[in-house]
Amino acid sequence: MNPKVPPVLYELAGLLMKNAAPDVPPPERASDLSLSALLLVVAAEMWDRGAAVLVEENRALRALLGEAGEDGDLRISALTVENERLRAGLIAAHAAAEAAGDTAREAAIWAELVASTERRRLSMAPV
Amino acid sequence: MTHPLEARVAAYIAGRMPLAEGVVEVSGLERISGGASRETYRFVARWNEGGYARERRMILRRDPPASLIDTERRVEFEAYRAFHGSAVPVPQMLWLEESPEALGHPFFIAEELAGFEASPQTLFAGGYDAVLPQVAERKWTILGEIAKADPIALGLDKVMAPPPLTSCWSRELDHWEALIDKDQAEPLPITRAAIRWLRAHPPPPAQKLSVVHGDFRTGNFLYDAAGEIHGVLDWEMAHLGDPLEDLAWSLQPIWTFGRGLAGGLVSQAEAAAIWARASGLAADPAALHWWILFNCVKGQGIWVGSAAAFNRGGNKAPIMVYPAWWLINAQDRAMLQVMGRL
Repeated sequence: MNPKVPPVLYELAGLLMKNAAPDVPPPERASDLSLSALLLVVAAEMWDRGAAVLVEENRALRALLGEAGEDGDLRISALTVENERLRAGLIAAHAAAEAAGDTAREAAIWAELVASTERRRLSMAPV
Repeated sequence: MTHPLEARVAAYIAGRMPLAEGVVEVSGLERISGGASRETYRFVARWNEGGYARERRMILRRDPPASLIDTERRVEFEAYRAFHGSAVPVPQMLWLEESPEALGHPFFIAEELAGFEASPQTLFAGGYDAVLPQVAERKWTILGEIAKADPIALGLDKVMAPPPLTSCWSRELDHWEALIDKDQAEPLPITRAAIRWLRAHPPPPAQKLSVVHGDFRTGNFLYDAAGEIHGVLDWEMAHLGDPLEDLAWSLQPIWTFGRGLAGGLVSQAEAAAIWARASGLAADPAALHWWILFNCVKGQGIWVGSAAAFNRGGNKAPIMVYPAWWLINAQDRAMLQVMGRL
Protein backbone atom coordinates (compact mmCIF):
# COMPACT_ATOMS: atom_id res chain seq x y z
CA MET A 1 0.00 0.00 0.00
CA ASN A 2 1.13 3.49 -0.80
CA PRO A 3 1.77 5.34 1.52
CA LYS A 4 3.16 2.53 3.68
CA VAL A 5 1.04 1.59 6.68
CA PRO A 6 3.51 2.24 9.58
CA PRO A 7 4.14 5.96 8.85
CA VAL A 8 0.40 6.48 8.39
CA LEU A 9 -0.36 4.86 11.75
CA TYR A 10 2.30 6.99 13.44
CA GLU A 11 0.70 10.08 11.88
CA LEU A 12 -2.79 9.03 13.01
CA ALA A 13 -1.50 8.49 16.53
CA GLY A 14 -0.18 12.06 16.56
CA LEU A 15 -3.45 13.34 15.15
CA LEU A 16 -5.46 11.57 17.86
CA MET A 17 -3.23 13.12 20.52
CA LYS A 18 -3.70 16.56 18.96
CA ASN A 19 -7.47 16.13 18.92
CA ALA A 20 -7.51 15.11 22.57
CA ALA A 21 -6.79 18.76 23.39
CA PRO A 22 -9.91 20.80 24.24
CA ASP A 23 -9.23 23.76 21.95
CA VAL A 24 -9.47 22.04 18.55
CA PRO A 25 -12.33 23.58 16.51
CA PRO A 26 -15.14 20.96 16.39
CA PRO A 27 -15.45 20.84 12.55
CA GLU A 28 -11.69 20.21 12.22
CA ARG A 29 -11.82 17.57 14.95
CA ALA A 30 -14.76 15.90 13.19
CA SER A 31 -12.92 15.88 9.85
CA ASP A 32 -9.67 14.58 11.36
CA LEU A 33 -11.35 11.84 13.37
CA SER A 34 -13.72 10.62 10.68
CA LEU A 35 -10.95 10.37 8.09
CA SER A 36 -8.67 8.70 10.65
CA ALA A 37 -11.39 6.16 11.34
CA LEU A 38 -11.73 5.35 7.63
CA LEU A 39 -7.98 4.85 7.33
CA LEU A 40 -7.96 2.55 10.37
CA VAL A 41 -10.69 0.48 8.71
CA VAL A 42 -8.56 0.09 5.58
CA ALA A 43 -5.47 -0.78 7.64
CA ALA A 44 -7.49 -3.34 9.60
CA GLU A 45 -8.74 -4.96 6.41
CA MET A 46 -5.21 -5.28 5.00
CA TRP A 47 -3.60 -6.36 8.30
CA ASP A 48 -4.39 -10.05 8.09
CA ARG A 49 -3.86 -10.67 4.38
CA GLY A 50 -1.07 -8.17 3.61
CA ALA A 51 1.84 -10.60 3.82
CA ALA A 52 -0.07 -13.44 2.14
CA VAL A 53 -0.97 -11.21 -0.81
CA LEU A 54 2.64 -10.24 -1.36
CA VAL A 55 4.00 -13.79 -1.03
CA GLU A 56 1.41 -15.11 -3.48
CA GLU A 57 2.00 -12.29 -5.92
CA ASN A 58 5.80 -12.54 -5.75
CA ARG A 59 5.52 -16.27 -6.44
CA ALA A 60 3.29 -15.63 -9.49
CA LEU A 61 5.56 -12.89 -10.81
CA ARG A 62 8.69 -15.03 -10.47
CA ALA A 63 6.97 -17.77 -12.44
CA LEU A 64 6.02 -15.31 -15.19
CA LEU A 65 9.52 -13.84 -15.33
CA GLY A 66 11.25 -17.23 -15.21
CA GLU A 67 12.95 -16.57 -11.90
CA ALA A 68 13.62 -19.09 -9.15
CA GLY A 69 13.51 -18.41 -5.41
CA GLU A 70 11.16 -17.82 -2.52
CA ASP A 71 10.62 -15.01 -0.05
CA GLY A 72 12.81 -15.59 3.00
CA ASP A 73 12.10 -12.44 4.98
CA LEU A 74 8.36 -12.31 5.64
CA ARG A 75 8.16 -8.80 7.02
CA ILE A 76 5.81 -6.74 4.83
CA SER A 77 8.52 -4.15 4.26
CA ALA A 78 10.90 -6.80 2.85
CA LEU A 79 8.17 -8.47 0.80
CA THR A 80 7.23 -5.09 -0.64
CA VAL A 81 10.79 -4.33 -1.77
CA GLU A 82 10.88 -7.66 -3.62
CA ASN A 83 7.37 -7.07 -5.02
CA GLU A 84 8.38 -3.71 -6.42
CA ARG A 85 11.46 -5.24 -8.08
CA LEU A 86 9.32 -7.95 -9.67
CA ARG A 87 6.57 -5.56 -10.80
CA ALA A 88 9.19 -3.34 -12.47
CA GLY A 89 10.39 -6.47 -14.29
CA LEU A 90 6.82 -7.24 -15.30
CA ILE A 91 6.40 -3.82 -16.92
CA ALA A 92 9.49 -4.45 -19.06
CA ALA A 93 8.32 -7.98 -19.92
CA HIS A 94 4.85 -6.71 -20.87
CA ALA A 95 6.23 -4.02 -23.18
CA ALA A 96 8.58 -6.55 -24.76
CA ALA A 97 5.72 -9.00 -25.37
CA GLU A 98 3.65 -6.26 -27.02
CA ALA A 99 6.59 -5.27 -29.24
CA ALA A 100 7.18 -8.89 -30.23
CA GLY A 101 3.48 -9.56 -30.88
CA ASP A 102 3.64 -12.45 -28.40
CA THR A 103 -0.08 -12.59 -27.66
CA ALA A 104 0.13 -15.73 -25.51
CA ARG A 105 2.63 -14.07 -23.18
CA GLU A 106 0.58 -10.88 -23.16
CA ALA A 107 -2.49 -12.88 -22.14
CA ALA A 108 -0.56 -14.53 -19.31
CA ILE A 109 0.62 -11.13 -18.06
CA TRP A 110 -2.89 -9.65 -18.25
CA ALA A 111 -4.24 -12.62 -16.31
CA GLU A 112 -1.74 -11.97 -13.52
CA LEU A 113 -2.54 -8.24 -13.52
CA VAL A 114 -6.24 -9.00 -13.13
CA ALA A 115 -5.46 -11.46 -10.33
CA SER A 116 -3.24 -8.86 -8.68
CA THR A 117 -6.04 -6.28 -8.48
CA GLU A 118 -8.38 -8.95 -7.08
CA ARG A 119 -5.87 -9.79 -4.31
CA ARG A 120 -5.48 -6.15 -3.37
CA ARG A 121 -9.16 -5.23 -3.67
CA LEU A 122 -10.77 -3.54 -0.66
CA SER A 123 -14.30 -4.46 0.37
CA MET A 124 -15.35 -0.79 0.19
CA ALA A 125 -13.70 -0.06 -3.19
CA PRO A 126 -15.92 1.59 -5.83
CA VAL A 127 -14.63 -0.69 -8.66
CA MET B 1 -14.71 29.34 20.16
CA THR B 2 -12.95 31.88 17.91
CA HIS B 3 -10.84 30.50 15.08
CA PRO B 4 -7.34 32.03 14.96
CA LEU B 5 -7.79 32.96 11.29
CA GLU B 6 -10.86 35.15 11.90
CA ALA B 7 -9.00 38.33 12.85
CA ARG B 8 -6.59 38.01 9.91
CA VAL B 9 -9.40 37.40 7.43
CA ALA B 10 -11.34 40.36 8.84
CA ALA B 11 -8.31 42.62 8.47
CA TYR B 12 -7.79 41.49 4.90
CA ILE B 13 -11.43 42.02 3.90
CA ALA B 14 -11.54 45.43 5.58
CA GLY B 15 -8.66 46.49 3.36
CA ARG B 16 -10.62 45.43 0.26
CA MET B 17 -13.92 47.14 1.13
CA PRO B 18 -13.46 50.92 0.95
CA LEU B 19 -17.21 51.50 1.44
CA ALA B 20 -17.31 49.60 4.73
CA GLU B 21 -17.71 51.90 7.71
CA GLY B 22 -15.85 51.00 10.89
CA VAL B 23 -14.71 47.47 11.51
CA VAL B 24 -15.45 44.37 9.44
CA GLU B 25 -16.37 41.44 11.66
CA VAL B 26 -15.67 37.83 10.71
CA SER B 27 -17.30 35.06 12.72
CA GLY B 28 -18.18 31.38 12.53
CA LEU B 29 -15.05 30.56 10.56
CA GLU B 30 -14.78 26.79 10.26
CA ARG B 31 -12.95 24.40 8.01
CA ILE B 32 -15.09 22.38 5.63
CA SER B 33 -14.32 18.66 5.51
CA GLY B 34 -12.37 17.32 2.52
CA GLY B 35 -10.43 19.65 0.26
CA ALA B 36 -7.20 17.84 -0.54
CA SER B 37 -5.96 20.47 -2.96
CA ARG B 38 -7.02 23.62 -1.08
CA GLU B 39 -8.01 24.28 2.53
CA THR B 40 -11.63 25.43 2.40
CA TYR B 41 -13.31 27.45 5.17
CA ARG B 42 -16.73 29.06 5.51
CA PHE B 43 -17.43 32.20 7.53
CA VAL B 44 -19.79 35.15 7.87
CA ALA B 45 -18.64 38.73 7.30
CA ARG B 46 -20.57 41.65 8.85
CA TRP B 47 -20.03 45.34 8.24
CA ASN B 48 -21.86 48.66 7.94
CA GLU B 49 -22.25 50.40 4.61
CA GLY B 50 -24.30 53.48 3.74
CA GLY B 51 -25.70 53.46 7.23
CA TYR B 52 -27.01 49.88 6.94
CA ALA B 53 -25.78 46.71 8.57
CA ARG B 54 -24.65 44.16 5.94
CA GLU B 55 -23.94 40.46 6.22
CA ARG B 56 -22.58 37.96 3.70
CA ARG B 57 -21.60 34.30 3.90
CA MET B 58 -18.24 33.67 2.29
CA ILE B 59 -15.81 30.89 1.43
CA LEU B 60 -12.03 31.04 1.85
CA ARG B 61 -9.94 28.73 -0.32
CA ARG B 62 -6.32 28.71 0.86
CA ASP B 63 -3.35 26.78 -0.55
CA PRO B 64 -2.13 24.04 1.81
CA PRO B 65 1.59 23.42 2.51
CA ALA B 66 1.59 20.64 -0.13
CA SER B 67 -1.27 19.57 -2.30
CA LEU B 68 -2.81 16.53 -3.93
CA ILE B 69 -2.53 18.51 -7.17
CA ASP B 70 -0.35 21.57 -7.69
CA THR B 71 -2.32 24.22 -9.52
CA GLU B 72 -2.40 27.96 -9.93
CA ARG B 73 -5.15 29.53 -7.87
CA ARG B 74 -5.41 32.35 -10.44
CA VAL B 75 -6.50 29.82 -13.07
CA GLU B 76 -9.23 28.53 -10.76
CA PHE B 77 -10.29 32.06 -9.80
CA GLU B 78 -10.54 33.22 -13.42
CA ALA B 79 -12.43 30.10 -14.48
CA TYR B 80 -15.08 30.77 -11.85
CA ARG B 81 -15.20 34.42 -12.82
CA ALA B 82 -15.58 33.65 -16.53
CA PHE B 83 -18.73 31.56 -15.97
CA HIS B 84 -20.38 33.66 -13.28
CA GLY B 85 -23.84 34.79 -14.47
CA SER B 86 -23.90 32.24 -17.33
CA ALA B 87 -25.81 28.98 -17.83
CA VAL B 88 -23.07 27.36 -15.76
CA PRO B 89 -23.89 28.14 -12.12
CA VAL B 90 -20.86 29.12 -10.05
CA PRO B 91 -20.32 31.22 -6.92
CA GLN B 92 -19.19 34.80 -7.33
CA MET B 93 -15.48 35.36 -6.83
CA LEU B 94 -14.63 38.29 -4.56
CA TRP B 95 -10.87 38.60 -3.98
CA LEU B 96 -7.74 36.77 -5.11
CA GLU B 97 -4.58 37.10 -3.03
CA GLU B 98 -1.43 35.55 -4.48
CA SER B 99 0.93 36.82 -1.81
CA PRO B 100 1.43 34.68 1.32
CA GLU B 101 1.60 37.74 3.58
CA ALA B 102 -2.02 38.02 4.69
CA LEU B 103 -2.81 34.39 5.59
CA GLY B 104 0.47 32.50 5.25
CA HIS B 105 -0.42 31.04 1.84
CA PRO B 106 -2.13 32.35 -1.31
CA PHE B 107 -5.93 32.21 -1.23
CA PHE B 108 -9.15 33.51 -2.68
CA ILE B 109 -12.47 34.48 -1.16
CA ALA B 110 -15.84 33.84 -2.80
CA GLU B 111 -19.51 34.06 -1.88
CA GLU B 112 -20.90 30.95 -0.21
CA LEU B 113 -23.80 29.23 -1.95
CA ALA B 114 -25.44 28.09 1.26
CA GLY B 115 -28.23 25.61 1.89
CA PHE B 116 -27.31 22.97 -0.68
CA GLU B 117 -25.68 19.54 -0.59
CA ALA B 118 -22.51 18.37 -2.34
CA SER B 119 -21.94 14.92 -0.82
CA PRO B 120 -22.32 11.87 -3.12
CA GLN B 121 -23.03 9.74 -0.04
CA THR B 122 -26.04 11.93 0.80
CA LEU B 123 -27.20 11.94 -2.82
CA PHE B 124 -27.15 8.14 -2.96
CA ALA B 125 -28.51 7.43 0.54
CA GLY B 126 -32.07 6.98 -0.74
CA GLY B 127 -33.68 10.33 0.00
CA TYR B 128 -32.88 11.72 -3.44
CA ASP B 129 -33.73 8.65 -5.54
CA ALA B 130 -36.77 10.30 -7.12
CA VAL B 131 -34.74 13.25 -8.41
CA LEU B 132 -31.60 11.42 -9.58
CA PRO B 133 -32.73 11.60 -13.26
CA GLN B 134 -33.17 15.37 -12.86
CA VAL B 135 -29.70 15.67 -11.28
CA ALA B 136 -28.29 13.73 -14.24
CA GLU B 137 -30.09 15.93 -16.76
CA ARG B 138 -28.78 19.08 -15.12
CA LYS B 139 -25.29 17.68 -14.53
CA TRP B 140 -24.55 16.76 -18.12
CA THR B 141 -26.47 19.74 -19.54
CA ILE B 142 -24.22 22.05 -17.53
CA LEU B 143 -21.15 20.13 -18.68
CA GLY B 144 -22.44 20.55 -22.25
CA GLU B 145 -22.70 24.30 -21.65
CA ILE B 146 -19.08 24.38 -20.48
CA ALA B 147 -18.04 22.47 -23.62
CA LYS B 148 -20.08 24.81 -25.86
CA ALA B 149 -18.58 28.01 -24.43
CA ASP B 150 -15.93 29.90 -26.40
CA PRO B 151 -12.84 30.14 -24.19
CA ILE B 152 -11.38 33.00 -26.25
CA ALA B 153 -14.57 35.07 -25.89
CA LEU B 154 -14.43 34.37 -22.14
CA GLY B 155 -10.85 35.68 -22.06
CA LEU B 156 -9.55 32.44 -20.56
CA ASP B 157 -6.79 32.08 -23.16
CA LYS B 158 -5.00 34.81 -21.15
CA VAL B 159 -4.57 32.50 -18.14
CA MET B 160 -4.75 29.05 -19.78
CA ALA B 161 -2.51 28.06 -22.71
CA PRO B 162 -4.60 27.04 -25.77
CA PRO B 163 -3.20 23.86 -27.39
CA PRO B 164 -3.61 23.09 -31.12
CA LEU B 165 -6.67 20.91 -31.73
CA THR B 166 -4.41 18.12 -32.98
CA SER B 167 -2.38 17.91 -29.79
CA CYS B 168 -4.90 18.35 -26.97
CA TRP B 169 -4.50 14.64 -26.24
CA SER B 170 -0.71 14.53 -26.27
CA ARG B 171 -0.33 17.60 -24.08
CA GLU B 172 -2.55 16.08 -21.42
CA LEU B 173 -1.02 12.62 -21.65
CA ASP B 174 2.52 14.04 -21.49
CA HIS B 175 1.55 16.11 -18.46
CA TRP B 176 0.04 13.25 -16.46
CA GLU B 177 2.67 10.69 -17.44
CA ALA B 178 5.37 13.10 -16.25
CA LEU B 179 3.56 13.52 -12.92
CA ILE B 180 3.28 9.75 -12.50
CA ASP B 181 7.01 9.40 -13.31
CA LYS B 182 7.76 11.96 -10.61
CA ASP B 183 5.32 10.79 -7.94
CA GLN B 184 4.94 7.02 -8.15
CA ALA B 185 6.27 5.22 -5.09
CA GLU B 186 5.87 1.76 -6.60
CA PRO B 187 5.73 0.31 -10.14
CA LEU B 188 2.31 0.62 -11.82
CA PRO B 189 2.15 -2.11 -14.52
CA ILE B 190 -1.50 -1.55 -15.46
CA THR B 191 -1.12 2.22 -15.72
CA ARG B 192 2.02 1.79 -17.84
CA ALA B 193 0.20 -0.63 -20.17
CA ALA B 194 -2.65 1.88 -20.50
CA ILE B 195 -0.22 4.68 -21.36
CA ARG B 196 1.43 2.51 -24.05
CA TRP B 197 -2.00 1.77 -25.54
CA LEU B 198 -3.02 5.43 -25.49
CA ARG B 199 0.14 6.48 -27.32
CA ALA B 200 -0.29 3.73 -29.91
CA HIS B 201 -3.95 4.65 -30.61
CA PRO B 202 -4.26 8.48 -30.53
CA PRO B 203 -7.75 10.01 -30.77
CA PRO B 204 -8.89 12.32 -33.60
CA PRO B 205 -8.27 16.08 -33.24
CA ALA B 206 -10.63 17.93 -30.92
CA GLN B 207 -13.88 19.15 -32.53
CA LYS B 208 -13.29 22.56 -30.98
CA LEU B 209 -11.23 24.20 -28.30
CA SER B 210 -13.18 24.15 -25.04
CA VAL B 211 -12.84 25.05 -21.43
CA VAL B 212 -12.17 21.79 -19.60
CA HIS B 213 -13.30 21.91 -15.97
CA GLY B 214 -10.92 19.06 -15.19
CA ASP B 215 -12.79 17.54 -12.22
CA PHE B 216 -16.47 17.60 -13.22
CA ARG B 217 -17.99 14.73 -11.27
CA THR B 218 -20.64 13.90 -8.72
CA GLY B 219 -19.33 15.48 -5.52
CA ASN B 220 -18.16 18.69 -7.17
CA PHE B 221 -21.54 20.37 -7.60
CA LEU B 222 -24.20 21.69 -5.21
CA TYR B 223 -27.66 20.16 -5.53
CA ASP B 224 -31.05 20.58 -3.83
CA ALA B 225 -34.00 18.33 -3.01
CA ALA B 226 -35.63 19.04 -6.38
CA GLY B 227 -32.55 17.82 -8.26
CA GLU B 228 -31.50 21.29 -9.39
CA ILE B 229 -27.78 22.12 -9.48
CA HIS B 230 -26.85 25.49 -7.98
CA GLY B 231 -23.09 25.60 -8.24
CA VAL B 232 -20.21 23.85 -9.99
CA LEU B 233 -17.16 23.80 -7.74
CA ASP B 234 -13.47 22.82 -7.70
CA TRP B 235 -12.16 24.35 -10.91
CA GLU B 236 -8.51 24.02 -9.85
CA MET B 237 -7.66 21.68 -12.73
CA ALA B 238 -9.40 23.84 -15.36
CA HIS B 239 -7.57 24.22 -18.67
CA LEU B 240 -8.28 24.52 -22.39
CA GLY B 241 -8.53 21.38 -24.48
CA ASP B 242 -10.73 18.72 -26.03
CA PRO B 243 -14.33 18.87 -24.73
CA LEU B 244 -14.47 15.07 -24.70
CA GLU B 245 -11.87 15.09 -21.93
CA ASP B 246 -14.38 16.52 -19.45
CA LEU B 247 -17.19 14.23 -20.53
CA ALA B 248 -14.87 11.24 -20.20
CA TRP B 249 -13.74 12.24 -16.68
CA SER B 250 -17.39 12.30 -15.61
CA LEU B 251 -17.80 8.80 -17.08
CA GLN B 252 -14.67 7.10 -15.77
CA PRO B 253 -15.59 4.07 -13.62
CA ILE B 254 -14.16 5.46 -10.36
CA TRP B 255 -17.06 7.91 -10.28
CA THR B 256 -19.76 5.25 -10.45
CA PHE B 257 -19.66 5.10 -6.63
CA GLY B 258 -20.16 1.35 -6.83
CA ARG B 259 -23.59 1.78 -8.47
CA GLY B 260 -22.58 0.73 -11.99
CA LEU B 261 -23.91 3.97 -13.48
CA ALA B 262 -22.15 7.03 -14.88
CA GLY B 263 -21.64 9.36 -11.93
CA GLY B 264 -23.83 6.92 -9.99
CA LEU B 265 -26.80 8.44 -11.86
CA VAL B 266 -27.62 7.11 -15.34
CA SER B 267 -26.13 4.87 -18.02
CA GLN B 268 -23.07 6.10 -19.88
CA ALA B 269 -25.11 6.31 -23.12
CA GLU B 270 -27.77 8.49 -21.46
CA ALA B 271 -25.16 10.80 -19.97
CA ALA B 272 -23.36 11.19 -23.29
CA ALA B 273 -26.68 11.87 -25.07
CA ILE B 274 -27.60 14.66 -22.61
CA TRP B 275 -24.16 16.19 -23.06
CA ALA B 276 -24.38 15.99 -26.86
CA ARG B 277 -27.80 17.68 -26.88
CA ALA B 278 -26.61 20.51 -24.66
CA SER B 279 -23.24 21.07 -26.30
CA GLY B 280 -24.19 20.48 -29.92
CA LEU B 281 -21.03 18.36 -30.14
CA ALA B 282 -20.58 14.70 -31.04
CA ALA B 283 -19.48 12.09 -28.53
CA ASP B 284 -17.73 9.75 -30.98
CA PRO B 285 -17.56 6.37 -29.19
CA ALA B 286 -13.97 5.55 -30.18
CA ALA B 287 -12.68 8.99 -29.21
CA LEU B 288 -14.66 8.91 -25.99
CA HIS B 289 -13.17 5.50 -25.15
CA TRP B 290 -9.67 6.94 -25.59
CA TRP B 291 -10.49 9.84 -23.30
CA ILE B 292 -12.07 7.61 -20.63
CA LEU B 293 -8.94 5.47 -20.51
CA PHE B 294 -6.83 8.62 -20.44
CA ASN B 295 -8.85 9.85 -17.49
CA CYS B 296 -8.17 6.59 -15.67
CA VAL B 297 -4.46 7.38 -16.07
CA LYS B 298 -5.07 10.94 -14.92
CA GLY B 299 -6.95 9.64 -11.89
CA GLN B 300 -4.01 7.40 -11.03
CA GLY B 301 -1.75 10.42 -11.37
CA ILE B 302 -3.84 12.26 -8.80
CA TRP B 303 -3.97 9.36 -6.33
CA VAL B 304 -0.21 8.67 -6.46
CA GLY B 305 0.33 12.43 -6.23
CA SER B 306 -1.59 12.57 -2.97
CA ALA B 307 0.50 9.68 -1.62
CA ALA B 308 3.67 11.46 -2.75
CA ALA B 309 2.69 14.64 -0.87
CA PHE B 310 2.36 12.50 2.28
CA ASN B 311 5.52 10.47 1.65
CA ARG B 312 7.64 13.59 1.08
CA GLY B 313 6.35 15.10 4.31
CA GLY B 314 4.84 18.16 2.69
CA ASN B 315 1.33 17.34 3.86
CA LYS B 316 0.67 14.65 6.46
CA ALA B 317 -3.09 15.18 6.65
CA PRO B 318 -5.22 11.99 6.47
CA ILE B 319 -7.00 13.39 3.40
CA MET B 320 -3.74 12.84 1.49
CA VAL B 321 -3.70 9.13 2.39
CA TYR B 322 -7.35 8.29 1.91
CA PRO B 323 -7.56 8.72 -1.90
CA ALA B 324 -4.35 6.71 -2.34
CA TRP B 325 -5.40 3.79 -0.14
CA TRP B 326 -8.98 3.77 -1.35
CA LEU B 327 -8.49 4.38 -5.05
CA ILE B 328 -5.11 3.26 -6.46
CA ASN B 329 -6.17 -0.39 -6.81
CA ALA B 330 -9.73 0.61 -7.75
CA GLN B 331 -8.30 2.84 -10.48
CA ASP B 332 -6.25 -0.12 -11.77
CA ARG B 333 -9.47 -2.14 -11.92
CA ALA B 334 -11.21 0.73 -13.72
CA MET B 335 -8.43 0.68 -16.34
CA LEU B 336 -8.82 -3.09 -16.76
CA GLN B 337 -12.58 -2.59 -17.24
CA VAL B 338 -12.11 0.12 -19.86
CA MET B 339 -9.49 -1.95 -21.71
CA GLY B 340 -11.87 -4.91 -21.74
CA ARG B 341 -9.64 -7.03 -19.47
CA LEU B 342 -12.02 -7.30 -16.49
